[in-house]
Amino acid sequence: MEPPRPTSSDGSVDRELRDHCNATEDPAHESTTPLAARKHPLLGSRLLYSRSLKVIRPASFSLGTIISGVTTLVGYRDLLYTMTLFRISVRYKQSVLGWLWAALQPLAMMLIYTLVFSRVARAANDGVPYWLFVFSGLLPWTFFSGAVSNAINGLIAHSDLLTKLYFPREIIPLSYVFTALVDFAIACGILSGLMVYYHLSFSWNVLYAFPVVAILVAFTSAVALILSSVQVRFRDVGAALPVVLQIGVFATPVIYPLNWVPSRYQRLYLMNPVASIIENFRRIVLRGSSPDVSMLITSAAITLCCLVLAYAYFKATEVTMSDTI
Amino acid sequence: MFDIKLSHVSKRYSIRNSTRARSVGWPQFSFLGKKPKELWALRDVSFEVAEGESLGIIGNNGAGKSTVLKLLSRITAPTSGEIKVRGRLSALVEVGSGFHPELTGRENIFLNGSMLGMTRSEIARMVDSIVEFAGVPEYIDAPVKRYSSGMNVRLGFSIAAHLDPDILLLDEVLAVGDIVFQAKCLDLVSQLRQSGRTVILISHDLGAIQRLCDRVLLLHQGQVLMTGTPIDVIDHYQQMAMGGGETYHLDDDTDQKSALCSRISFTSEELDQIPRTGYPMFARLGFHARHHLENVVFNILIYWPSGYLCAQLTTAISDPQLRIAPGSGEVEFCCPVLEIQPGWYRVDISIESNGEDLDRQQRCAVLRVLPGKMVFGDFYMDTVWRVLT
Repeated sequence: MEPPRPTSSDGSVDRELRDHCNATEDPAHESTTPLAARKHPLLGSRLLYSRSLKVIRPASFSLGTIISGVTTLVGYRDLLYTMTLFRISVRYKQSVLGWLWAALQPLAMMLIYTLVFSRVARAANDGVPYWLFVFSGLLPWTFFSGAVSNAINGLIAHSDLLTKLYFPREIIPLSYVFTALVDFAIACGILSGLMVYYHLSFSWNVLYAFPVVAILVAFTSAVALILSSVQVRFRDVGAALPVVLQIGVFATPVIYPLNWVPSRYQRLYLMNPVASIIENFRRIVLRGSSPDVSMLITSAAITLCCLVLAYAYFKATEVTMSDTI
Repeated sequence: MFDIKLSHVSKRYSIRNSTRARSVGWPQFSFLGKKPKELWALRDVSFEVAEGESLGIIGNNGAGKSTVLKLLSRITAPTSGEIKVRGRLSALVEVGSGFHPELTGRENIFLNGSMLGMTRSEIARMVDSIVEFAGVPEYIDAPVKRYSSGMNVRLGFSIAAHLDPDILLLDEVLAVGDIVFQAKCLDLVSQLRQSGRTVILISHDLGAIQRLCDRVLLLHQGQVLMTGTPIDVIDHYQQMAMGGGETYHLDDDTDQKSALCSRISFTSEELDQIPRTGYPMFARLGFHARHHLENVVFNILIYWPSGYLCAQLTTAISDPQLRIAPGSGEVEFCCPVLEIQPGWYRVDISIESNGEDLDRQQRCAVLRVLPGKMVFGDFYMDTVWRVLT
């Protein structure tokens, strides 16, 4: 608010004022006439759609939220795509090796495990070199552990978004899962290169990899959803996770074959979807045999239960995340 | 038909004393033991906003304005109650906050746009228009971390504006950006209003509220205190913020001062009436002097509630050689036409002698101005007119 212009009795100020008015009149005239003739450019772009009624209620844990949640998520699918795309491009933006890192990480792990365990494990790998055996197990494992350990801090890292914008929050952990999936695909390319080099043949059974990987992605998403939402409230989860993942390498058939597990414990052991997925993935890709169907169905059933519960829990905590973060 | 309807909405925040737990270093299971402190940001709030209406929300800090905004934009959920929102809603709150610094402006348009609920094909169609409105065409393929903060905000506002919402939430957003851009935004908001969009404006800028809103809602300590026309509600709010009364008896227990102001009042021509815009106003300043004083100047400074100096009444111009004798007296200022807008103003008074302050009392009184002749704009200007042929 400007203070009023001091007036004076002599005419010079009046003249100056009049000049000032004349000077500003022309551009003002120029801009008002076309504006009146046409509407604002932004208003011309109005999209035709029917208004929908949204009802905002207090948080609740119910399976009904899943349906509305999935519907909203489908509406925001482009955000999931865009976020995943940019997460990938940002990650390797200022690195020299770029995309190669997606393959270098499991390769390095493979080297370590091979050096440490190859002597112990020589007996058990029916013709396949041990390091290839390890590498094929490490791929799904690296996907799982990488996705979960990145996703768990995702919501906290984006707290500025959570407190200022609304969008389905599950998109953040899910975008980490899909970013890891791209890395997984690159590493699979390396694996097939190595298999060709070692003259291991592919069979049509390799197509079973798609349902197997789909179950793996679903289970990883379930774990990522539930852990990342608990992490918002209790940061202890983030501290415990590296230890749990370290143990996980030994609780899944990554560096040893399944038949090393005593047969009476195998049933319990395979309740872990990651364990049965790694075993099936190796059978399909490395050995070219068909998957163990009962193992596949069990892991799919467990995964579905986990995913439904995890999503319902996530949706129940989502609405107050911005308060507790 | 309503666009927004809140029914008995309450929102409770629990304040956990997290810093203490961290500094001690021992785990404190606050969720098992004593209950965290509770704070009701909103309590049983109900109101409706009709389609095409523009509602202003005012209130002190902590009255619950931002909580209403967060609830409407679904950033958080109510503790109890229900909110209905009909149509696409866009909140212009801290625009540009969704930007990723490593990505280019163009990439951020896609990222931010899809966060606001646009599809990629919608954004692709609008991207040129967004860039043009933001006025950053030459930087659009540079990473956003190289942008100035103003460019950031302009790009953010431009994206949010292109969402073309049915309902627009604004929270002090007009305070950012340079003057040219602010004018552009105001222009856009009033055009959106004219084209029938529903607008909710949350602001401390009471002038903007008065200009842009059909109806105003006053929040106080999480409850709706009042709704009504902008003039009524703003008047009530200012009265609440300042405390009422027309005559002020000022502190007079200081013995050291050689002169002091004892009393001040603002009236219209009738001594018991509150002054009105466009009509005469009388200000009476009572004083008490202990000695003969030379070269005395009396000042009354009138401030906007925001603290900006609005006007000054002074004896300095009219009579530089004013002298007063010991004892009590009164100075009367007469304004033939009161030019300031209706509202509540804070007042400073002072007495000077030979350029030295004898008494200065800051924010010691309130000037209330009632609506009189109509004011559009910041000041009433008394005019006579005739048709020249």
